[in-house]
Amino acid sequence: MSLTRRELLKMGLLSICGAIIPLSALEVLKPEALASLIHPFSEKKRWAFVVDTTKCVGCGMCAKACKLENEIPFYADVQRTWVERYIQLKSGEVIIDSPKGARYGFTANDPQGRTDVSEDDITKGFFVPKLCNHCEKPSCVQVCPAGATYKTDDGVVLVDRKWCIGCGYCITNCPYFARFFHPVYNVADKCTFCYHRITKGMKTACVDACAFGVRKIGLINDPDSEVFKIITTQRVEVLKPEYGNEPHVFYIGLDHIVR
Amino acid sequence: MSSHAWRPVMVIVAVVIAGLVVRQMIIPRDFVAKNGNYKYQWHRLSNEEEWKRFEVKHLGRDFCKQCHPDKIETVADSGHQNVQCENCHVQFDPEKKGHKSIDLKADYKYALDIGIDRSRELCKRCHTKLKYRPDKYTLFSKGTIQFKLIDPEKHNPGVECVMCHDVHKTGFK
Repeated sequence: MSLTRRELLKMGLLSICGAIIPLSALEVLKPEALASLIHPFSEKKRWAFVVDTTKCVGCGMCAKACKLENEIPFYADVQRTWVERYIQLKSGEVIIDSPKGARYGFTANDPQGRTDVSEDDITKGFFVPKLCNHCEKPSCVQVCPAGATYKTDDGVVLVDRKWCIGCGYCITNCPYFARFFHPVYNVADKCTFCYHRITKGMKTACVDACAFGVRKIGLINDPDSEVFKIITTQRVEVLKPEYGNEPHVFYIGLDHIVR
Repeated sequence: MSSHAWRPVMVIVAVVIAGLVVRQMIIPRDFVAKNGNYKYQWHRLSNEEEWKRFEVKHLGRDFCKQCHPDKIETVADSGHQNVQCENCHVQFDPEKKGHKSIDLKADYKYALDIGIDRSRELCKRCHTKLKYRPDKYTLFSKGTIQFKLIDPEKHNPGVECVMCHDVHKTGFK
């Protein structure tokens, strides 16, 4: 086969041009991607949670209800959901505490057991309820060597109690400290979004127990759900977005002192 | 190759085969990567059903209504309309447990311990005045109201709240 100089240059340039088109440039032609331009919210069922911290009074009824509903021994100092108190003083000092995970509530102005914090010194304070964030990219699941923790199709992260070997990798890998060792089963445990309740059309125990409308659970893609309405119309934040976990617990009224 | 080299090879092959057979027996059939997602969905599929079967314990107002319709009506009309019965009546303290007339666990398959807690500590969870506790209540059906907050050190210390207050009516006795 003979090749002229002209043909060599032509074909060479063409193949170089072809090679430098990145694969991602062709992705827009994928049918799913095109469909997402027409329907901006995917049809897939996906549970999400909203926490309105501006309404939280720190009664801790959520923490109590969660413990009893999910059979976490009441007097054990482990919580699937807990409430944190943030107080900033005039000196700039920030005091954060969550006595007994707030399962007995906050009944006095005694952050971290201190009695020297006078109300006049406080510039701001608020309560932040926390729970598992049921991330889209859960770092706890990635590190499980046993395949004992996983994400369901509707976005809930669960632990298989029969399969967990108790190595604790997931507990140290959760950036939100949402996991702990279950004192009875001796396996990793965490919030399940009350999977046994939400799959039956009920709300989670903590949502039911909250008399202040702080907590809301719903499908993030369902235009009728309150969660959808809040996320699409109000300013919401997630905790620690820098970890890239894509958490699905959305907060209203966070502050820079919240960790 | 001479025969002495084959012996250890056979042993290794046998061990590997035995390992594979045992592995096949131990790992459940439904242990798969759902949607081909090994990163996040590699698990035993039947565990999802196991979690769905977990017992529901908090049954809410509708359950209590079966026997106490009058109480439910009173509360629905009061400032405590959004407070679930179980918030105050489910007890973890062994001393406060006990449902008077019937055995809820046996007769109604109700899993939690019901009882009456008259302690100040229970009321203080919501009603202690703290500088950083929200003092407006927006969920009341008749519009936003001032949330009742007291200083437990000064507001009749040592006396039970229920001496003067009717909790179900949210008024005075």
